[in-house]
Amino acid sequence: MKTSQAYKKAGRSAHVLAVLLVGVGGWTGQARGAPITFNTALPVAKGEFFFREQLVVNQSGDDPSGLDRDRRAEAAVSVLGYGVDSKLALFGVLPYERNELKLTSSGQRVTRRASGFGDLTVFGRYTLVQRDEPGSNFRVAPFAGIKSPTGEDKENDTLGRLPPSVQLGSGSWDPLAGVVMTYQTLDYQVDGQFSYQANNEANGFEAGDVARLDGSLQYRLWPRTLSGGVPAFLYGVIEANLIHQGKDRVDGTTDPNSGGTRLFLTPGIQYVTKRWIAEAAMQAPVSQNLNGTALENDYIARVSVRFNF
Amino acid sequence: MKRFLILPLLFFWSLAAFAAGTQYTLRVDGLACPYCAYGIEKKLKQIEGVEKIDVDLKKGIVIVDVAEGVALTESQMKQLFKDAGFTYRGMEKKPL
Repeated sequence: MKTSQAYKKAGRSAHVLAVLLVGVGGWTGQARGAPITFNTALPVAKGEFFFREQLVVNQSGDDPSGLDRDRRAEAAVSVLGYGVDSKLALFGVLPYERNELKLTSSGQRVTRRASGFGDLTVFGRYTLVQRDEPGSNFRVAPFAGIKSPTGEDKENDTLGRLPPSVQLGSGSWDPLAGVVMTYQTLDYQVDGQFSYQANNEANGFEAGDVARLDGSLQYRLWPRTLSGGVPAFLYGVIEANLIHQGKDRVDGTTDPNSGGTRLFLTPGIQYVTKRWIAEAAMQAPVSQNLNGTALENDYIARVSVRFNF
Repeated sequence: MKRFLILPLLFFWSLAAFAAGTQYTLRVDGLACPYCAYGIEKKLKQIEGVEKIDVDLKKGIVIVDVAEGVALTESQMKQLFKDAGFTYRGMEKKPL
C-alpha cells in the first residue's frame, strides 16, 4: 500500500513536466523563421500547408522527495498548419511520446513507461493586426483551441495503473487561448506570446492550469550583409519561457507537491531557406520555484525541421 | 536599296521584342526572410505564362517575366499578395 501511494505521489508531482512538454507553445512556430519553443504571428498563405516535425527530450531529476525519481519524456511532435485565408490559420499538433519514470520505493528501483500517440491539439489563429513596411512587418494574432483526449490515459503495467506523468494522454478536454505578436525585419525578429491552458479533470486527476509568457529574439548571423536575391539565413536564437502551473487536484483534493513557476533560457540556432528550416535549441531552467517535492527540470532539448508543401 | 533592307529588319526586331514578353517589377511590403519568398513564388507560378520569378529581399521587389500576350493586373497582384500574407504596393513593367 505504501509503495502504491509512493508511485501515485511520484506520478502526480511529475505531471507538470508532461504538460510543459507538449503544452501551449513549443509546437507550431510555422514558417518564415519563427521561435523554436512557441508560436509566431507570421502568416500561412491562403490554401497552403506547412509541416513541422520536432523532436523533444525532456529530462527531469534532482528529486527532493527521497524517491530518487528520474523522468525522461521523448516526443516526436508533428504539426500541420493550413491557411484558410490571409488572416485565419488552422493548426493540428499530434505528439508521439515515449515516457519513462524511474523511482526507488521500499528499497526497490522500478521503471514505468509508456509509448504511443498522445493528445491531439487543434487551434485556430487569427491575424488581428498587420502592418507591412519595406523589409519589415508587425503582426498580432490571438489564438484559441482545445487539447483533445486522443492519447491513452488508462495504461497499466505489472505494477498497476501508470501515474499521470507516464500516461500518454490526460483523458480530459482542455481549452487553451492566447495571443502572439511578431516584429520581423531583414536583420532580426522578435516574438512574444502569452497563453493559458485550462486543464480539466479525468480519472480523478486534474492537472493545474498552465500560464505561459514567452519571448524570442532571432538575429541574422549570416550572411552579414544582404546583396540581393534570396540567400539562406542563419539565425542565432535566444528565447525565454516563463511557465506557471497551478497545483494538481487528486480526487478533489489539492496536491501540495505539484505546480510552481519555472523560467527557462533557451539558446538556439536556426537555418532558414526558401523551402525548409532546420533548428535546434536547449531549454535550460534558470529558476524553478516549485511547490513541495515537485520534480525539477534538468533540460529540454529540441531539434526540428519545417517545410512548405 | 538600304532603305528596303532596314525596314524589314526593324519589322522582325519588333516582332522578336514583342514575342519576348514583359518583365514586371512588383513592390511588396512585409518581405523580411527567405521563407516568405517561397509562398509568393508558388502563387505566381500558378499564373499561366509566368516564366521566371526573381525575389530580391533587400529591395522588397519581385521581378516576374511573363510570356507574350500575358499581362499581370493591379487587382490580380493585390489579391495574390494579400493571400500570401503580404502587402502589394505597385508595379512597373517593361518589354523583355
